[in-house]
Order: sequence, then structure tokens, then C-alpha cells
Amino acid sequence: MTRFIFATIALLFAAGTALAQTEPPLGVHLGVASCGGSSCHGSVERPANSPVAGNEYLIWSQRDKHRNAYNVLLQDRAIKMARALGLPDAASQKVCLDCHADNVPADLRGRQFQISDGIGCEGCHGGASRWLGSHIAGATHQQNIAAGLYPTDQPIARAEKCLSCHYGDATKFLDHRIYGAGHPRLTFELDTFTAIQPAHFTVDQGYVQRKGRVTDVQVWAVGQAIALVRRMDAVLDPKHAPKGLWPEFSFFDCQSCHHEYGAYAKPTTTGLGPGTVKFNDANEVMLRVAAARVAPGVANQLSTHMLALHQATQSDWGSVQREAAAVKAAAQSLVNEFANHDFTDADMRAFTSALIAMGASNLDSEFSHDEQITMGLEAVTTGLKSSGGVSEQQGAAITNAMGAVYGAFTSEKGIRQDAFAKALADLQRTMGR
Amino acid sequence: MIWRGIACAALLGLAAPAVAQVPNDTTNHVGVHSCAGNNCHGAIQPVGNARVQQNEYFVWSQKDKHSKAYAVLKDPRSLRIAKNLGLADAEHSSVCLDCHTDNVPPERRGPQFQLSDGVACEACHGGAQFWLGTHVSGVDHKVNIAAGLYPTDQPEARAEKCLSCHLGNDKRFVIHKIMGAGHPPTPFEVDTYTAIEPAHFIVSPSYIQRKGKPNDMQMWAVGQAVDVKLRMDLILDPKNAPQGVNFELSLFDCQSCHHSMADLQWQARTSTGLPPGRIKFYDATATMLRVAAQQVAPDLAKALHDHMLALHAAAGENWDAVKREASAVRDAAQKLIPQLAAHDFTKDDAKAMTTAIIASALDGDNLDYSGAQQQVMALESIVVAMKGLGFADDRQIAALNDAMNPLFDAVQDDQKYRPDAYTAAVKGFKAKLPM
Repeated sequence: MTRFIFATIALLFAAGTALAQTEPPLGVHLGVASCGGSSCHGSVERPANSPVAGNEYLIWSQRDKHRNAYNVLLQDRAIKMARALGLPDAASQKVCLDCHADNVPADLRGRQFQISDGIGCEGCHGGASRWLGSHIAGATHQQNIAAGLYPTDQPIARAEKCLSCHYGDATKFLDHRIYGAGHPRLTFELDTFTAIQPAHFTVDQGYVQRKGRVTDVQVWAVGQAIALVRRMDAVLDPKHAPKGLWPEFSFFDCQSCHHEYGAYAKPTTTGLGPGTVKFNDANEVMLRVAAARVAPGVANQLSTHMLALHQATQSDWGSVQREAAAVKAAAQSLVNEFANHDFTDADMRAFTSALIAMGASNLDSEFSHDEQITMGLEAVTTGLKSSGGVSEQQGAAITNAMGAVYGAFTSEKGIRQDAFAKALADLQRTMGR
Repeated sequence: MIWRGIACAALLGLAAPAVAQVPNDTTNHVGVHSCAGNNCHGAIQPVGNARVQQNEYFVWSQKDKHSKAYAVLKDPRSLRIAKNLGLADAEHSSVCLDCHTDNVPPERRGPQFQLSDGVACEACHGGAQFWLGTHVSGVDHKVNIAAGLYPTDQPEARAEKCLSCHLGNDKRFVIHKIMGAGHPPTPFEVDTYTAIEPAHFIVSPSYIQRKGKPNDMQMWAVGQAVDVKLRMDLILDPKNAPQGVNFELSLFDCQSCHHSMADLQWQARTSTGLPPGRIKFYDATATMLRVAAQQVAPDLAKALHDHMLALHAAAGENWDAVKREASAVRDAAQKLIPQLAAHDFTKDDAKAMTTAIIASALDGDNLDYSGAQQQVMALESIVVAMKGLGFADDRQIAALNDAMNPLFDAVQDDQKYRPDAYTAAVKGFKAKLPM
């Protein structure tokens, strides 16, 4: 323990000395080795007096796909994709590395930094050169953040960080050209993906003391709002304006095109006729559920402009941009509403019922919606369980019923609608009155 | 023989004066009954010594889907499609009737005409008002044609007629809105579809005497040229121009979008030059036309190739560029039609075209479902031609026919199409080639 801390500090000092002269504006990424010591985050058992479990590195390295994000770039599929894109390989390309590794510029890479570590600690928590010292020395969480630790505990910050890759931002974006080359479809919901990562933190008393209580429902709602802001940002980005005939297809619902024939059912949310391709509106549909209780006025605005956005895809790009800006503004104001809202058990029960009703209705059978409904229910019911809003017995019944909801999905792009509707009806019964 | 004709004419009471050829059918359609007398075209079995089988009506009514084209509009599926389109039903909507029946205006429907007969005799052969009389009196085929009988025996005319529904034209086109509402895709190749209709004619010595000897390779080649010409017309039709962000998706290859996301299927193609993630104009018939053009006019084959490539690229530029290239492709196809129609397709042509089609399938340049589907139909036409023209002996033809089965299996269902299974079937076919 002592030895390790000493070693780490010694290392850090070595780096620190170098930094003192030409310290870049952002922290240097020191590498996973700086965090994964057996007495720090690489422990099997909780280290003495540690406020955290200490096994964070182990969870990441053994179970978290972020660990293998770089390695997959070396696989056949990635090489095939790279060739389709006219690249010699994937593992040396910025366009791939930007999300498959902690691809900071060379001057921000410390001595122990290895690109092959994939999305390592500092990929999310920020370069540690400025805060590792205070962190090890036992500074408070606020002090660490002030020193440059990224506040992943805060819903807005977490959503921004995750979505920067899991949807994209101004500098990195998974466009349809990359999908066409073979990249798997991205799907994301902040709270669910935090849990299935799997999370390498537990919200225990110490966590709440240090970071405050963050509820799953808030993480879900904020995550949806920011996801929609990001989507609209991409629509408004001149880089993604139509080229010739081609709009940026990744804005649209994948299943809108990639479906077998004869699947059309009149949509209730878009007003579009048959044979048209629709924007992916799953985040907006979720957001409307949350907004209806928290900020009904904004909810109205949101649905009005989203409908207009769908219609605009049948006219010109100028109209699309106008409506995208309005949708973005509504989503942006919801980010703040949700971040400041104290979500109650009544809120969560209402969300659960609304999501179930939407999923069970045969008027809305879109896969992208069903997927978000399922993840939304996971987040909200988890919130209810941890708030004590449902009894332990009820919680077990909910978990059980959610199992059947997941079971309705035949693959990552297929669902049995009848099984889904039935599982949702069963889930509603577990909620009681 | 002659009494049969008189009986028909009496039945109809329609001895009409001969008129000059009517290029656009504006005559009255007298109805299926006028043709279906049991001593005219309504025999149950082929009649031994007649010029034609005389069971044409029977073949049509029992085996030909054209006779069910109207009835299908009453199916639940059609009703669903109509509702999706905001129509009350399908059987009263002209957008459906225009291809699902012989939808001539009411004033041109004879007393025996029934819309419910579907795509009946006169939908393809033309309104019989002015030629039925000469026809039953046993005149020469050319006289009938001059009187208004549609020349379905001539490749260009047949292709134009079939494709006017099976692809579409300025008056009727299965736009993507209709597809999206649930209409099935409409693949077509005139020679194969003539055979599987099934054809209600046989190429007998009498047929050859009256209409000339048909060559399936020529029917295929001319059909492809007409298809490409009509496709370019559809692109050039202002009705199908993009509206803002929205463009007419029916002009594109269905599987370009409607494929599973699970497959790593993209590969570079010299025939399109498109990057991954783009959708492509339907080009399977143009690719086949290039093969046929190579035999009759290599310069036009090259022009076709160059301008198709430019057309694919133009989609990423603007619609004017698309129209420019579509016009150039159309010109090439238009010029090819008479050349292909006049060309005597020989055994050497069969050999060269088969080799080119197989090479295109095996070098992976055209492994899309639509391409494979057209390749299979092309090979079938060539095999049939080889048989008809005596280019291979019976045993060789039997072996080729056997080898065609796995090819048909491989392209039977576009949703289950596997390029590797298809190329295996192509290799199997190649091994059986006698040349």
C-alpha cells in the first residue's frame, strides 16, 4: 500500500516536473497504470479506509467493453470496414481512435499512457495530471473536480461525456458512410448503459455523502434531453447538410429503411405517409413523457416542433434546420428543468404507466421507440426500487416482469410485438394501484 | 377453319372495316368474351391442326396471374395498401386499376367488357374493335397489325407493352409511397416473364411462318434496352424529381436500403464507384444491357458504362447532373434498341454473353440481389435460346437446366439472398457449359 502510493507519487512527480514548464491547458493523460494499482482502484477487496470498493480497475478490465474498444479495431470486421472506407486499417486512424481509445494528442499522453488500453480511466474521468495528487492525498470530491476531475456523477456532465461518442459531437460523428461500411448501429440510454457498463461504483452512504444522491429517473430524463440536443446539433451542423440528393442518413430511424417489406403501420408520431423515411425521434418521444409532468408547456412546444420537423423532411433543408433549432431549444430548456426537478415516486409511477401504455399500444410499433421504452422502464423502475417507492416484494416482481420485456426482443433489431405488449401489461400489474 | 372464324364474328356481330395501324390504342375494347369462344381461343385442349393452340383463353384464365390482377385488389392486403394510401378501397381507384385491369375509359368499353376480367386479352393485344373482323376472317398477321392488333411478337413492342406496367411510365408508376403502403416489388425481365406468364403461344412452324423465328437472347437484349430507356424516362419525368430533401425512392435499388444491418455486405464496385452508406439507382438492367451491347455496338456499351457511372456519381451532386447523365444513358439505350432488334444473335454471342455474365457474377462487382436476379434471368434466356436454335444437344441442355435450378433458388427471396450461395450456384452452372 505505502509502497504503491509512493511509487505513484514518484511517478507523478516525474511527470509533474516535466509539466511545470510547458503545461498544456488540459491535464495530461497519465495512463491506466496510474489508477490500477492494487492499493488504489486495482484491488480485489476494499482497501482499508477507502471510500470506494477499490475494484474499479478490475471491473473495467474484466467486464467493461470500454476496455476492448481499441482491441476490436484490430479484428477482421474493423479491418474490412476500414478498407471499405479507403483506409489502410482501423487501429491507426483518427476517425476510429477518437471513440475507440482515449485519443488525446501526443503532448497530452504521459509516459505510461497506452493507446491500446482503449477507453481507459481518463477517457471519461479526464487527464489526471492536475488532480491525481490531490485525489490520492484525500481531497474532497469537489476539490478533485475543481482540479480537473470530470464530474461523471452529475447527470448533465455524464450525459455530455457519454454521448460525445455514443451519439457524436462536432468533432466526432458516426455518419452513414461509416455505418454503410459495416459499423454496428449505435443505441444509447444513459441510465441503462451506466448500469450495464457495468458501473464500477455503488451508490452507498459514502457515495451519497460525497456526491449527493443522483436518481436513476433523473439520469434517464437528462440523458434523453441531452441526446436530443446532440441530435439537433448534428442536424444543424453544416458538415451534415445534404450532399446532392443525399441527406445524412444516420439522422433517420435505421428501421425506417432497413426493414423487410410490408412492415408499414401508420405512424402516430410523425404524420408521414407510407414510403417516407423518418427522423429518429425516439429520444423526443421519451422526452415528451418526462416533460409532460415536469414542464407541460415545453412538452407541447417540443411535440409541435418535432412534428413540424418530420413534415419539413418532405420539403427543404432550410425548414428542417428551422425546426431542428426549435426542437433543440425545447430540449435545452428541458435539460435545466430536469436537472433541477426533484423527481417523486408519483412522477416515476406516472412515467412507468405512460411508457407501458405507449409500448403496448399497437398504434406505435416502431422498434426504436420500443427499445427506448424498455430502457426507460428499466431506469424508472430502478429509481422506484431505490427510492423505496415500491416494496421489496414488489421490486422483485418488477424485476421479474422486466425480464419478460427484454425477452420480447429477438435480436438487437427485432422484437415480437405481441410478446412485448403482453410483457408490458404484466409489468403494469406489478405496479399495483 | 374458316367456319370457326365466321362463328366468332357472328357471335360478336362486329365485322369492322380495316383501318390503318393505330399507334396509340384509342379503339373500343370489346371484352374477353369476344375472344374466348371454344372454337376461337377458348378450347380446353390444344387443337391439333390449327395455326394456334386455340387454348389461349384457357391458359390465361387458369394459369396466368393477369386474369387475377383485378381480383387481387379485393384481398385484405390490397385493402390495407389502399387504406395506407388514404383511399377508400383499391378496386375503384384508378391508381390501382391502371395496371390491375384493362382500365380503358368507360366510353371505350364494349357491351361485353368487364373491368373484373383483370389484365385481359385486349390490355396487351389492343382494343379489337377494328381488327377482330379481319382477324377472324383469317388474314395475314401483318394485316391484323395494320388494323390495330398490337404486335406483341416483336421484341421492342412487347417490351414496351409489358414494361408499361411492370416498370411504369409517365402515366403509371409504382412510386415509393405505394411500395411503402405495402405493394410488393416489381422485378421484370421480358423473356423470362413471357415464359413464366405462362406464354399462351408456342413457336410452331406456323408461328415462324407468320411471325418469324423468335430468339430468346434477342428478346432479352431488346427488353433490357427498353427497360433502361424507360427507367431513364422515369428519372427525367418532372413528377419524379426530388421535392426538397425528399426524392423518389422507387428509382433506386430496393436492397440498397432494405437489407439486414447484420451483414457486412458493402464492397467497392467498379460499376458504381459509390462509397459505403449511399443508395444506388437501380442499375441491374443497365449492367445486363452492357453485356448485350458489347456484342452489337461496343462503343455504345462503353457510353452506357461511362454514363451509368456518372449517373451514380451525379446523385451526390445535384438533380441537373442526374438528368444530364440519365439523358445520355437514355440515348445509348435508345440507339441500342434497333441494333439489338436487327442483330442475329448467334452461338458466338451466346458464348460471349454467358462468359461476361458469369465473370461479372464471380468477380464480385455485381453481387447485389437485383444484379443476381437479372443475371439468372439472362442465363435462362440464353439457355432457352441455345436450345431453340440448336446450339447445344439435348443432354447439354438438360445439364444446363439442372444447373439453373440452384441459381433460381439463390435468388428466389430477396430477403434471404446470400451472395456466397449465389456465386456457388454460378460456379455450378459454369461447370456445365458445353462451350
